[in-house]
Amino acid sequence: MSRIRGRDEHTLAGAYAMDAISAADRDRFERHLAGCQECTEEIASLREATARLGAATAVTPPAGLKERVLAAAAMTRQQVPDAAAADSPVRARMRPGSWLRSLAWPGRLAVAAGAVAAVAVLGIAVVFGVANGDMRQQLDRAQASSQQVAAVLTAQDAVMMNGVVAGGGTATIVMSHSRDALVFTAQGLRALPSSAGYELWLIGPSGDRPVGMLPTGSNGMTEPVIASGLRAGDHLALTAEPAGGTVRPTAPMMLDVAV
Amino acid sequence: MEVTGGSERGNRARQAADPDAGTGPDLAAQLSLVARGDAAAFDALFEQVGPSVFGTVRRVIRDPAQSEEVTQDVLLEVWRTAFKFDPARGSAMAWVMTLAHRRAVDRVRSVQKQAERELRTATAEIPYDDVIEAVESSLDRERVRRCLNSLTELQRESVTLAYYNGYTYGQVASLLGVPAGTVKTRMRDALIRLRDCLGVAE
Repeated sequence: MSRIRGRDEHTLAGAYAMDAISAADRDRFERHLAGCQECTEEIASLREATARLGAATAVTPPAGLKERVLAAAAMTRQQVPDAAAADSPVRARMRPGSWLRSLAWPGRLAVAAGAVAAVAVLGIAVVFGVANGDMRQQLDRAQASSQQVAAVLTAQDAVMMNGVVAGGGTATIVMSHSRDALVFTAQGLRALPSSAGYELWLIGPSGDRPVGMLPTGSNGMTEPVIASGLRAGDHLALTAEPAGGTVRPTAPMMLDVAV
Repeated sequence: MEVTGGSERGNRARQAADPDAGTGPDLAAQLSLVARGDAAAFDALFEQVGPSVFGTVRRVIRDPAQSEEVTQDVLLEVWRTAFKFDPARGSAMAWVMTLAHRRAVDRVRSVQKQAERELRTATAEIPYDDVIEAVESSLDRERVRRCLNSLTELQRESVTLAYYNGYTYGQVASLLGVPAGTVKTRMRDALIRLRDCLGVAE
């Protein structure tokens, strides 16, 4: 098996099409394929057959698998033709659970958001030549927040929901009951005057709690906000409030999602 | 990310999809919508290929939890790299299933000791009968069963041990006690016969 040559190469087509071949032989055969149009076509036709062998084993996937895949996809940046070559060394392999590493809301990595914020704070610190206690606290908070976001997104029971925001925009929510938490982001929200901002709420039988103001993001996306301590019967709501936020919602709900 | 946009197109693709065919032009069309970030098309695509991907991965890997992980990985790779699918080079179903099978096999082989353990117990398993058992319901499955039956015994065993158990042709050869070169040739002959029998030649 150490050498493949002559007619031998061609007979490997069947084993290759079924991945019944060692990694080393696979690499060699692929080099052979690169220069053999006929072989490439044969492999393609054999793979139509193996695909049917696979399809004959079809079974209903476990409950929740589709939701996890869709939630993960919603936060995974897609490769595009131009970027493919440049991206491949980094993205060539995806390990289980590692999709987190390539998570992306447009223009900003969800999990990296905390780190980005941290870098921004650091940048300010450098500009002003100070690194006082407040900034240290902000850094710590940013890091803790990105860890919480990551924990929700990678939870086995994470599910994704979408909502339409009255007045314009859509919301994406990834929720994990095992973590009693959700991650919220919105896109295409109508711009508000600087004196106002969007505030996120948990509203339910056990009381209404402000989650926080939505941080403005780039590309019309807000940065991810984490809401933890979900309780039974809670709804997630969004209102436009004075920029500093309020303790109770004072404006009409622009989004109301049962969680 | 396009969460809600494009859902109309996705729905149309889903309605056009023939649930049994799996290899129709609809899946290719869906894949090109997926390449453009259409979440609804991806949802519809999962409905169509998810059962086959999960079934194949589970057949090879056996362990349910690992099978779920690998299935998730495969579908995410489809999402990330959908633009790479080229309809001139084969069907969308073949593209997805090639990814799925290779991932499953890679996972099994990355745990070499486990693979060796499975190899030792493989003779006690009856992979071909497993297939038969699972194939009662659809016409496609019936045709696969019929075509597998049309192979010689050595061809059939080579194919089922390689494809469904994820063994290399060398491992298949030692399991069946025949020379590796013979198994290699039989695998190619068998797939050519299957291809012609299934009527999936391009």
